Amino acid sequence: MMVNQIPFKEFHLLLNQGLRVAIGPFNVCIQTTYKPLAEQLYQLYRHYRTAQNEIAEFHVRIVTERSNKNPFEKNVRFLLDGQSPFESFPQAQALAALEWGINLAIAVRVSHLLLLHSAVVEKNNHVILFPAWPGSGKTTLCTVLSYRGFRLFSDEFGLMDPQQGTFYPIPRLMPLKNESIAVIRNYLPEITIGKSIPNTQKGTVAHACPPEESIQQSTLTAKAKWIFFPKWIADSTTKIETISDSEAFMLLASNAFNYEVLGAKGFQAVAYLIRTCNCYKLVYSDFEDVMATLQRLIDET
Amino acid sequence: MKLELPRHNQLLLQAITTPSCLVQYTDIEWELLIRQARRVKLLGRLTLLLKEHHLWDTVPPRVANQLISGFVQAEKLQQLCSWELNRILWVLEDFDTHIIALKGIAYKLIDLPYAKGRLSVDLDLLVREADLADIESLLMIKGWKHRPISAYDEHYYRSWSHEIPPLVHTERETEVDIHHALIPVTTQLKIDTALLFDTAIPAAGHPKIKLLSPVDMVIHCAINLFQNNEIANDLRDLLDLHDLMTHFSQQDEDFWIQLTDRANQLKISHILFYGLYFSQLIFSTSIPEKTVTRLNSKPGKLKHRIMHRLVPLALFPQHPDHSLRSASWARRLLYLRSHLIRMPLYILLPHLIYKTIRRYL
Repeated sequence: MMVNQIPFKEFHLLLNQGLRVAIGPFNVCIQTTYKPLAEQLYQLYRHYRTAQNEIAEFHVRIVTERSNKNPFEKNVRFLLDGQSPFESFPQAQALAALEWGINLAIAVRVSHLLLLHSAVVEKNNHVILFPAWPGSGKTTLCTVLSYRGFRLFSDEFGLMDPQQGTFYPIPRLMPLKNESIAVIRNYLPEITIGKSIPNTQKGTVAHACPPEESIQQSTLTAKAKWIFFPKWIADSTTKIETISDSEAFMLLASNAFNYEVLGAKGFQAVAYLIRTCNCYKLVYSDFEDVMATLQRLIDET
Repeated sequence: MKLELPRHNQLLLQAITTPSCLVQYTDIEWELLIRQARRVKLLGRLTLLLKEHHLWDTVPPRVANQLISGFVQAEKLQQLCSWELNRILWVLEDFDTHIIALKGIAYKLIDLPYAKGRLSVDLDLLVREADLADIESLLMIKGWKHRPISAYDEHYYRSWSHEIPPLVHTERETEVDIHHALIPVTTQLKIDTALLFDTAIPAAGHPKIKLLSPVDMVIHCAINLFQNNEIANDLRDLLDLHDLMTHFSQQDEDFWIQLTDRANQLKISHILFYGLYFSQLIFSTSIPEKTVTRLNSKPGKLKHRIMHRLVPLALFPQHPDHSLRSASWARRLLYLRSHLIRMPLYILLPHLIYKTIRRYL
């Protein structure tokens, strides 16, 4: 059952008890009694499948509590299995806290897969990785690509099965930050974006919905063929530059969440990626331009 | 007295003591099991048990992935601890002394069954008090640093504790806890560290490292649980105790006599009593009947009854979604107990007041 097939009343009730949603290979059980968050989730999670009768890997809650600083104000707190990994947040940031919390849970717990810090999309059954650090514009680029003919895997996690060499899609809300919000609202006026949440640790954040088809196809895995290390530079023309295997290896390994935890398996997985993929550095500023360049490259190989 | 456990804790205990019953677990039970096992650091142990009993193929895939993740993380942390020990030995190459490896790393060095799945976050070492200052400065010269701590905590470690403030190498993350005794200095009980070095045994392949003798290793484990710590979520440590006693008693038929003799000699038999009692109560450790009667001192009947009620409630994890009030109270009381037996009141009261104030600042 999809979230949008449930009336809001019932959805809200489920959230009170613990709503289970399938997000890529994981089921996440979300519990909250905070109604404004329920309303936001009802809008932004509408294309996700519920998994009420399945095992959930992550159990997260958003609870409200009185603020320590101002007794008339309420804060929200993120809990993972009843434990609180962060300080509390202002109520208005409940959705951002939930989304960060789920990312954190995935990053610290999952060690059966290699976790690359990367935007990931798919085209013609081939995965394209954009590994990059926060602030490099990968979420923005990923949002554009996923609404312009590419299938979204993730704006944050490259989940790779180290044995099979395949990637698992994990399409989650894409948290656009600061200037990117207006850029995307202008460039993709048709897409659903949540309310702007100002004054978070990362500035203003607004969450873009993944395309419905990407969520529906999120059980279809694929192997990687291209790796682009992206950098957004204002007013630059699109430039791609091949890089050596050794440099690509270092860039990829050092940007994984759990490369070291996986030990030899991590090494072999990254080596396999470098052997089987074409690796480039990518500098861009214009979306049309970068998409044309990517398309050309895809058609050539 | 019988063991009474809430339903969710029974799921966890059954899984550890009788893995064959896991084939009957429903998805809901598996999920609750995994969440609890993670809380008390037993994911690695469950993984090993399931494989040992050839049940791995019956595990639901979503559960299997979480177990593997837990096992991989335990493996990695063990590797980091071993490497940290390797680096410390390198620093101590020209320093003529022995150090004793404690807890997780020691269990690995003696090849204790199931040690492979044990989650050990820190590296614990015991050194002679006379060597302490030298070893600390040698390590600091080679890049280990104390984590920044408040002046109060510094004082706490230096004057009252049985270890110095944790050391971490600037290039790595593994915390090294260097002990000079097994019990905090403020405790009335004293165990002369020299006695432990006298009977320590060499670790195979590591000329500088020694290990506590089997009986001392068991005693140290019991002391940590029932004297030094607050017992909350320490089920894994009681399982260590069970593993150690089972392992050593199979190797040496005089083990139980040596154990009680040593406890009597060190005057900690009342602590070992709890170790024997709860290991048998919870994990059905096969301990000869006469063992307990050989102990010189045992807790009184009332104390024993109270501990019987409180300890399991604290050892086992709370239900992740709805905490039991009785378990919360048990934890609070055992927290107080651990402080009362660790410090005299004139240190304890200011200490608790300080900690309470700091929590709200």
